[in-house]
Amino acid sequence: MRKIILSSIAALAMTSTAFAEVKIGNPMGLTGPIPDLVAPMAKAVDLAAKHVNEQGGLFAGGEKYTIVRADSACDPVAAVDAVTKLININLVSAIIGPVCSGSTIAQAESVSIPAGVVTLSVSASSPAISSMEKGTDLVFRTAASDAYQGIALAELTLAKGIKDIAVSYANDDYNAAIAGVFAKSFADKGGKVTANEAHEPSKASYRSEIATLGATSDNLALFAYYGSGGITVMRNALETTAFKNFIGADGMLSQEVIDQLGAENLTAVTFTTSASDDSTAAYGAWKSLADAAGVPAADPFVPNSYDAAFMMALAVEKAGSGDRDKIAASLRLIANAPGEVILPGEFAKAKKILAAGGDIHYVGAAGPQDFDENGDVAGRFSKSVVKDGAWSAELIK
Amino acid sequence: MWASFGFEFVNFYFIPGLVLGCIYALGAIGITLTFGILRFANFAHGEVMMTGAYFTWTISTLAGLWLGWSLHPLVAAIPAIFAAIGILMLIDRYFYKPFRNAPTIMVVMASFGMMLVVRSTVQFIWGPNQLTFVKGIDKPNEAVRQFTADLDLMILVPNKHFWIMAGTVIIMLCFTYLLERTRIGKAMRAVSDSPDLARVTGIDVEAVVRATWVVGGFCAVAAGVFLAMDIQFLETTMGFRMLLPMFAAAILGGIGRPFGAVFGGLIIGLAEELSAYPWIGDAPFISPGYKTGVAFTIMIIMLIVRPSGLFKGRTF
Repeated sequence: MRKIILSSIAALAMTSTAFAEVKIGNPMGLTGPIPDLVAPMAKAVDLAAKHVNEQGGLFAGGEKYTIVRADSACDPVAAVDAVTKLININLVSAIIGPVCSGSTIAQAESVSIPAGVVTLSVSASSPAISSMEKGTDLVFRTAASDAYQGIALAELTLAKGIKDIAVSYANDDYNAAIAGVFAKSFADKGGKVTANEAHEPSKASYRSEIATLGATSDNLALFAYYGSGGITVMRNALETTAFKNFIGADGMLSQEVIDQLGAENLTAVTFTTSASDDSTAAYGAWKSLADAAGVPAADPFVPNSYDAAFMMALAVEKAGSGDRDKIAASLRLIANAPGEVILPGEFAKAKKILAAGGDIHYVGAAGPQDFDENGDVAGRFSKSVVKDGAWSAELIK
Repeated sequence: MWASFGFEFVNFYFIPGLVLGCIYALGAIGITLTFGILRFANFAHGEVMMTGAYFTWTISTLAGLWLGWSLHPLVAAIPAIFAAIGILMLIDRYFYKPFRNAPTIMVVMASFGMMLVVRSTVQFIWGPNQLTFVKGIDKPNEAVRQFTADLDLMILVPNKHFWIMAGTVIIMLCFTYLLERTRIGKAMRAVSDSPDLARVTGIDVEAVVRATWVVGGFCAVAAGVFLAMDIQFLETTMGFRMLLPMFAAAILGGIGRPFGAVFGGLIIGLAEELSAYPWIGDAPFISPGYKTGVAFTIMIIMLIVRPSGLFKGRTF
């Protein structure tokens, strides 16, 4: 009796491995410091897989596009564990995910690059990811590098007529990196960086920092997280009236800043963040799909997550199989021009063109996803100012 | 002279250093008293500061909601002090008292655990997000600015800093009176010097322990409220972040020496802010990013060169 059960289980197991599907690993920071941000991102990945499978699945045989999820906890160690399991045990064809820059870099360096597996991150924005590969082409992302945001911010600052600026940044990886890009780009484009100082996060007072910086310029570029010192820096700067204009990036873009400092004090403040151009046809297509499925369309990196999962399916379809080595090349082919434009959700259309030997060019929910030589995308940014007690965003053209 | 040197130095480095020093000083009093009298490093002290500030916020918010009063934080702090002291007494009765005759390391660990318990409880009740303590921007006092500008000595001090400095001076005067003139104050000093000798002379050591928590708790809540008035928001690690400079202040002044702690607090506060002054050339002397390191360096040098502190405190 036991033998029969065992052999039938074994037979069942064999049929399930033989069942036609392409598995994609999806490590996400489901626990850790930002679970609230990640939950809708994971939903967007699932939504893309659902659309692919509803529209006939992969290849001529209609193979299933399966997402194998794991928890990378926004932590390098957890990400390496999760991805090791996905690649060696689940035998996935490629990786969509890690959310955070630290976990993306760690898993790519120690697991996915050595194994020759493509990583397509949905939200890692550290500039370090652009230059991490030597001789391989395996790391891609659908979120724009902070390097681009730094440049966009420098251009915006100069366009506002600000010619000299003091830079203050929190002493952490994200803020130091974007401040570095901003300062270099601002100077290259003809501006003058009068001071560039780090500050330690979460101190009770930043008055001496403000005094040193305020002596050099009337304008302050602030790179910090609002929850760990950014608000205090702003407050000390406003108290001493040392600065007239403030600019900064998404770490400061929170309603909390307005609630604590008062909208009337923030009339000369502009912060940027990455954003989607909601006037495009691609965004319109995404919005109606997302609304129908109950996914928050405009939340941070949610469209980027959909794009990543959808493009991976297109790349697998283009490659003709789940072979790990073919995915990088076909990912570039479906994402970059030339080809017929494919919008979010149009998997059946893309499949038909590919089957006929045509080229496709995916234009995503978060914007065009054309990869450059580093596997980066350009991305769009918005600038936010305080209007009627809340942040009001406007896309930078 | 004033325009080129004094204006910037006094307004942007010296006065902020003094304000920070006042907060450190009040916090360090409690640390040095518990260290001297109960003989352990109380890691939960920063959480007392934080809890007191949260109580103050709650009282002023409720007063605004129910009665329509807008209480000054210093008024709302008075009931908050009683509440915080009550909780300290309960903690002492049920968590520290069983360890009274145990090795010091056990009660130090107990206080470390207490720190986490208190912080988690506050997070549970009030949530982990920042709360706004006082909204808006406190601009420098216009009358003082105008008056000193006429004398060519322009001073920029926001009202909150006047309150903090005046409050600290008043608390220090009361504290001096308590220690020097009252019976319980003298008993506290006696127990701090030698608990065994104090016990044989008939001093009620448990009463002294209670008095220590009252005085330490009072100063801690005052420090917490002053800190919240300065930074204008509340978050659950605000006290913990102050803990290490406060320990540095207590060690600098000498363990068990309350006046040493005050002196040490002012020195540490001033040293942190003044280290960023451009003493040589135009650049900050030490990058402000390393301010925290200044307090530690002072603490370590003191422990190596003169472990008893400036005022001949206890050594362990």
